[in-house]
Formats: sequence, structure tokens, C-alpha cells
Amino acid sequence: MSEISVKAVHAFDGLITPVGETRPAGVVVSERTELALAAVLARKRRAGDLAALVANEFGCHLPAPARRTEGRDISVVSTGPGAWLACREAGGYGFAENLAETMQGVASVTDQSDAFAVLRLTGPRVRNVLAKGIHLDLDANVFLPGHAAVTQCGHVGVSLWRLDDLAGGDAAFEIAMFRSYAESFWHWLSVSAAVYGLAVAAGG
Amino acid sequence: MLLIRCPHCGNRPEIEFHCGGEAHIARPETPSEMTDQHWAEFLYYRTNPKGMHAERWQHRHGCGRWFNALRDTVTDKFAATYEMGSPRPDLAATPAPARTA
Repeated sequence: MSEISVKAVHAFDGLITPVGETRPAGVVVSERTELALAAVLARKRRAGDLAALVANEFGCHLPAPARRTEGRDISVVSTGPGAWLACREAGGYGFAENLAETMQGVASVTDQSDAFAVLRLTGPRVRNVLAKGIHLDLDANVFLPGHAAVTQCGHVGVSLWRLDDLAGGDAAFEIAMFRSYAESFWHWLSVSAAVYGLAVAAGG
Repeated sequence: MLLIRCPHCGNRPEIEFHCGGEAHIARPETPSEMTDQHWAEFLYYRTNPKGMHAERWQHRHGCGRWFNALRDTVTDKFAATYEMGSPRPDLAATPAPARTA
């Protein structure tokens, strides 16, 4: 009997590579390989209790529709009525389990860490690239840090949120898609960003 | 780009949405007691008005929720969107969109 070896593969392994002129690059991409994700769905008539629990446990508001909030060791993105995506840096497989325990009876929690691929996009031309695939107004004064949206990007369903600007002033977005769409999304991104230069930063 | 106001997400581009036909058509509670004609009317007969029309829409590529909308079939303007289960808004209270000649 042959030995079976299992190797962890990130969604963008073998895809993510610099495109075009990258000195300087207009857009910088990195894969968020260490971000643990969990879907949180409020139980019937328990949304108020869930909000209180999140405030108590993590010190942040449960975000309103189309918003994202950050708390202690967690960030929460609104993905629809009564639905959220909770994220923890380097949360591992324990994240969803712990969250389910914390939210027992108040919300249903499902691990999504391997279901979504998440990219971070920054750089001076990041909005020019996103404008080619996303039909939302992402103007700096309209789509603010802490805003989020579930929409389509290059015909791929995505969750998108804006982070605080980088120290240099560039806007930063994170974009999550179903993992199996990584190749399609990469095709869209690499072609759309080629004209500005797409650099790859270390993931994590 | 036509913007449609999802009752949950706010204004979003048209391509995120999917139309599900006429709204406020309740399934008869006793289908077995109906005549074929009345059953056919429930299944297939639609009002198809020229003007304001109540329709079901789904924010398919956003929050995924269904909602109702009042849309003018002549101008393609949305007069109102409202959650599933709420009654059709009174159009006298909601001014109809202006028609262009």
C-alpha cells in the first residue's frame, strides 16, 4: 500500500505572481492565508442577544448592514440580514469551534476558513483596478474604512471590505471569494491590473 | 447603471438583482376544490400592466434576500422597494415617477 501524504495548499498557490511593470507597482496583492473565518447566523429573535454578547466578549458592535467592525482579536463583516463573517488573525481551526461555544444558543457558527480565499489589495491604483470589476461606488469618500459589501467582481461573487489606509496613504481592501473561484478571480485580477503593474507581497 | 434599493443593503447596481415575476400572488389554500380554470389563472394569468407593477426581486449576488418592488414598466423606474410580507405601498402616498413623453 502506498503512503498518502497530505500537503496544505493555499488557494492562490501557483497563481499569485507579479504582472507587468512593478517598479513601482500600481497594485500590491497578498493572500491572507492565516485569516480564520467563520459564518455567524443569528438564531431567530436572538440578534439583540448576539449584539450584546459580541459587545461583551469582543468589545465591538455587531456591524450594521454593509459595515465591518473590529474588536479584541476579531473582526466582523456584515454579509446580509442576520448574517456575519467573523475573522481572526491566525485563528486556526479552533476559531470557529471557540466562537460556536461562545455563541451557543444565540447564533449558528460554521467554519469557513477553507471555504473562502481572501486577498488583500493595496497600492495607488487599487481603485482603478476594482472599478473594472465591481459596480459599486468605491470612491474614497463614499466607501469608507469600515464599509463592506457582498457583490460581484469580474462576475465572481465576493465579499469586500475596506481597511484603514496604509501609512503611505494608499487605500487597502480585502476581498473574499469562494476558494474554487481563485483561478477565475486571478485571471480577472492579473489582466485588469497588468497595465498598472501588479506586485505580490508576502502573505499571511 | 440602474440602481435598485435593496431593503437590506441600500442602493446597489442592477446586475446584482434577479426579477422573480409578479408579486402578491398567494397560493390558493384548497387547490383540490378549484376548477381547472381558476387553477390555471393562479398558475399562469398575470396582469402585465403598462405602468406601475408590483414585482418580486431577489438581491441574488448580494444578501440573497427576496423583496418586493413597485416598478414602472414604461420607464423602468423603481417607485418603491419593500420587504416580503409587507403590503403593497399606497402609490398616492408614494408619488409616481415622472413619465417622459
